[in-house]
Amino acid sequence: MHTILKAENIVKEFVGLKALNGVTLEVYEGERHAIIGPNGAGKSTLFNIITGMFKPSSGKMFFRGKDITGWPAHKIARAKISRSFQIINVYPKTTVYENIRNAVVSKFNRRFNWVTLLSRDQNIEKESNRLLDLLSLTAARDVLASELSHGMQRQLELALTLALDPELIMLDEPTAGFTRDESHKVVQLIRQVTEGKTLIIVEHDMEAVFSLADRITVLSYGQILATGTPNEIRENEEIKKAYLGRKGNGTGA
Amino acid sequence: MEAVEIYVVQLMHGLVYGMLIFMVTSGLTLVLGMMGILNITHAAFYMLGAYFGYSLALSLNSFWLSLLISPLIVSGLAVIIERFFLRGTYGGGHIPQVLLTFGLFFIISELVRLIWGSTPLRLAEPALLEGGISFMGRVFPIYRLFIIGFSSLIFLAMALLLLRTRIGVIIRAAVSDADMVEALGNNVPAYFVGVFAVGAFLAALAGVIAAPLLSVFSGMGDQVLIDCFVVVIIGGFGSLVGALIASLMIGQLQAFGSLWFPELALVLQFLLMVVVLVIRPTGLLGEEI
Amino acid sequence: MSRNRIYKITGAVATVFLLLVLAPKFLPEMKIHLATEIMIFALFAVSFNLLYGYGGMLAFGFAAFFGFGAYATALIISRIPAMPLLLTLAIAALSGFVMALLIGPLAVRLKGTYFALITFAFQMFLYAIALKWRDVTNGDDGIGIARPDLYLPFLGNLSMAEISNLYYVTLALVALGIIACYLFLKTPLGNSIMCIRDNDVRSSFLGYSVYLTKVTVFCLSGFLAGLAGGLFVLFNEFVATNCIDLSMSFLVVLMALVGGTGQFLGPILGAAFYITFQDWVSSLTQRWWLFIGALYVVVILYIPDGLISLFKSERIRLFGNRKRG
Repeated sequence: MHTILKAENIVKEFVGLKALNGVTLEVYEGERHAIIGPNGAGKSTLFNIITGMFKPSSGKMFFRGKDITGWPAHKIARAKISRSFQIINVYPKTTVYENIRNAVVSKFNRRFNWVTLLSRDQNIEKESNRLLDLLSLTAARDVLASELSHGMQRQLELALTLALDPELIMLDEPTAGFTRDESHKVVQLIRQVTEGKTLIIVEHDMEAVFSLADRITVLSYGQILATGTPNEIRENEEIKKAYLGRKGNGTGA
Repeated sequence: MEAVEIYVVQLMHGLVYGMLIFMVTSGLTLVLGMMGILNITHAAFYMLGAYFGYSLALSLNSFWLSLLISPLIVSGLAVIIERFFLRGTYGGGHIPQVLLTFGLFFIISELVRLIWGSTPLRLAEPALLEGGISFMGRVFPIYRLFIIGFSSLIFLAMALLLLRTRIGVIIRAAVSDADMVEALGNNVPAYFVGVFAVGAFLAALAGVIAAPLLSVFSGMGDQVLIDCFVVVIIGGFGSLVGALIASLMIGQLQAFGSLWFPELALVLQFLLMVVVLVIRPTGLLGEEI
Repeated sequence: MSRNRIYKITGAVATVFLLLVLAPKFLPEMKIHLATEIMIFALFAVSFNLLYGYGGMLAFGFAAFFGFGAYATALIISRIPAMPLLLTLAIAALSGFVMALLIGPLAVRLKGTYFALITFAFQMFLYAIALKWRDVTNGDDGIGIARPDLYLPFLGNLSMAEISNLYYVTLALVALGIIACYLFLKTPLGNSIMCIRDNDVRSSFLGYSVYLTKVTVFCLSGFLAGLAGGLFVLFNEFVATNCIDLSMSFLVVLMALVGGTGQFLGPILGAAFYITFQDWVSSLTQRWWLFIGALYVVVILYIPDGLISLFKSERIRLFGNRKRG
């Protein structure tokens, strides 16, 4: 199994709080890896360190063998690690098409191109349309992002994450705020679009986790309790006591 | 030992200016802490205080009366400005507020120029405080000692108010979390107007006191605005102690700056700001919590 | 945008342009003078709005770039008389660019009020230098210059003392600047600037370098502002500290706001309105600043989208660049 991402002894301290206390983790290429744990366990912190929002206080992060420790968000995004946001974070006052196009411009490295007219760029247009189609957003093409329904916004959120053709897809509680049925659909969609890619997903919804994940890492109080297949985790006594004993669904207590 | 005397004198001068700046910025930093707006108009209150002080001293023939009345007038004006202008922008986010306070600052500066003219005016110190005291073989102006003493008293009074009274507790809490304080049943908007008014009062007071020392001129507002800005950046918003420390630093910088590089006062201010901002830039993406 | 709209807008702009070109033929000299001034400030206001409306960065010290371009121009004209006029103006623009490059990398790290004020501090800093360095700038007495001739092949030496010549040169350069700005905003880089304005966090996670993009738009604004400053000196035949002081910084904010910062044409309208308004009111009273001040306050409180929003019947989204229907 080829390791795509490796976290080595990641420590993260905020003022007065040690959020991560030496986290070492390996994620294999092509797997769907879930990170779970009670609130305050450090899941978001780890997520944000991998994606470049925070720098670790100490420790190292490797992506495909390259040291990406402390890289800023935009550099990490360009390295094909892409993230979604738990609270929908799109461009509200522009259309769905324009939202996707923003990502495509970046993917094609045309961010600083000042000699062509954006609207005339066939390649960008084609690719944007392709992505809209992929995520079933074509019908909503000309709707402003802020005027989409919640479900559609989530789809757009996901679309933006995928638009960069990432090799490592990172999803932050993608089923948050959905009903049971809707969650099923989202999980389906995630399974579909992450086919052949590597996925790291932070989730509270245990059903989603167990149906999606190839492996699960359990975090608690800034440390890894265990990493293993869903079955291994399910059997793990310690974890059962610490965490799975609660009805883990939606927002944890 | 001549050099030591010079340094002591400059230190005192720096202390004087530092305390003046502190008087001006104390209101500013509290308002910033409570409402999140950097009220640019505040620098104009300082200027207005000086100009009203000048006119009142002339017409009433008394420095002391003008010292009392000028800040009251400015404070009243501040309340009117808050009520009729600022309040209209509270819902719309920070940009309209900032634009408005900037505009008001400018408008007031122009009005001052219109009414009092552009030539610098001289407000004489009161007879009581004229002259100097011999100290370490040099004569130190009594008026400057007065400024230091008076502003220290003000600082003590503020400290007492904020630390020992209920009003003070509420204000300090509101600086941390205004919403919560309001949710607990306190009329935060009313306290805010109060802080706003008292802040303006102090700024104007500083203006009057500074007048005999720094003279009354139309560029006063611009200069003090920059100092206020530096103080707030270094001292942190909402922190009075921070404002005090930063003000004293600025004061010393001015004093020794004018000793060593007299023409370049503004250069130093600016460099200080650059240095501070390089060390502690705010608003960087990816900044840790 | 539908094809129909594109034709309509192009038609309107072409008509306006035609009128502008023909204007000196049938307007009295004073009006040509005024029109020239309007064009210069239109460019200035557009450059400000590139930074504010499109870049999302409000600067209170924007006169720094205008003023520096102005002083650079005056110094070149007075000390290097042989310098071709167009080259001088190019240097004016470059001066604005260089100033922006000096302060940009630091200023752009700040947000909101802090950004606004640090540009103000920088402008005050330049103002102080302009005021004190009498040897070079002549302090508040300023530097007077004589408009150099413009040499064009086939047309020979055109005297800029002739107001209609100056008008045409200004028209050409301002139009160039404004159209370049407009087209620029339609390029991917222009789009990047707006992405970052709208959601800098998301943008950075999509691979955009917020910092570099902001510095870029800051410098481009400075470039155009510098050009406006150069044209201003040519027009005024004089430069003094008022080109780089608080009033000038305030004025450009005023013009952009009054016109409307949510539309490309807004600042142009704002400049036109302001210059005309100021020209009229100052002929009536010495205290015209009061009216300007009142105008400013009224606009902020009651017409926040600017005068241009009053012209349109359909609702315009602020910064949306897009109309519905």
